[in-house]
Amino acid sequence: MTPVDRDAERAIVAGLRAGDTGAFDKAYEAYRRRVFAFLLRMTRSRTLAEDLLDETWLRLVRHASKLFPDTRLGPWLFTVARNLYWSYRRDSLVEETSVPELLSLWPSRSPWPSPFDLAAAGELERRIERALASLSPHHREVLLLVGHEGLTPAEAAVVCGISPEALRQRLSRARAALAQTLRETPAVAAFKKGFAT
Amino acid sequence: MTVDFDAEQDDVRATLANLRGCDVSHHRAQQLRRRCHSVLQAEPSPMRSAWRTDQTSFRRFVLPALGAAWCLAYLAEMIRCAAAIYAHFGTQ
Repeated sequence: MTPVDRDAERAIVAGLRAGDTGAFDKAYEAYRRRVFAFLLRMTRSRTLAEDLLDETWLRLVRHASKLFPDTRLGPWLFTVARNLYWSYRRDSLVEETSVPELLSLWPSRSPWPSPFDLAAAGELERRIERALASLSPHHREVLLLVGHEGLTPAEAAVVCGISPEALRQRLSRARAALAQTLRETPAVAAFKKGFAT
Repeated sequence: MTVDFDAEQDDVRATLANLRGCDVSHHRAQQLRRRCHSVLQAEPSPMRSAWRTDQTSFRRFVLPALGAAWCLAYLAEMIRCAAAIYAHFGTQ
């Protein structure tokens, strides 16, 4: 799923190191949507994801002259985005894990759909997104990086700052957790039905 | 590294890979693009960095070395003058 081949990526990095805005535009077009989708699914907040996306790209241009010639842009950007997300989580006063408990105190469990829910038009996709959102952030991030963004497990391990072996175990647990969550919903059946028709 | 998938996990993998993409609004994307361009153009180019490095090394090493050489020459001249005076009065 890598949108930029290795030679083109080297050329982009060389351009960025030289301060070339054309090279930046190529990187921006290739990776903006992917990084934003990752941040949106991690944060579940469009506003927050947009802010973190801004900071991710600004960090790239601020550090452009210090990039190594063989820097892999995808993993570099996902590493920055991920670190920004975890930094935000550490700094935030309300932990994400406490939100379901707070919501359960309301008379209606889900009084309004989030912007992300509205964006996910189909019922099937909404269920899948919900299953993904119900996982822990650690599981969610490895599934998104490897399963959706197409990073290799080695690249994802670098992004997450863990060893490849630890990532393999985390990925296995995350897949099992997602499969279990989907088994509890009719999503897989509907997905198969959707492919059959 | 290979991970074994059974049929169900293949469905999970396909499900994940087929999640829809997301993007910021066109206006916001262009705004961020312009901000990044301005930062990128404001960043020092490698040539300017090299010139700045040269200036720094000049201030750190060359100027003190020139000052030290001038002081040594001045000291040597003073010693030479003192020796000449001593020799002049010493012979009388």
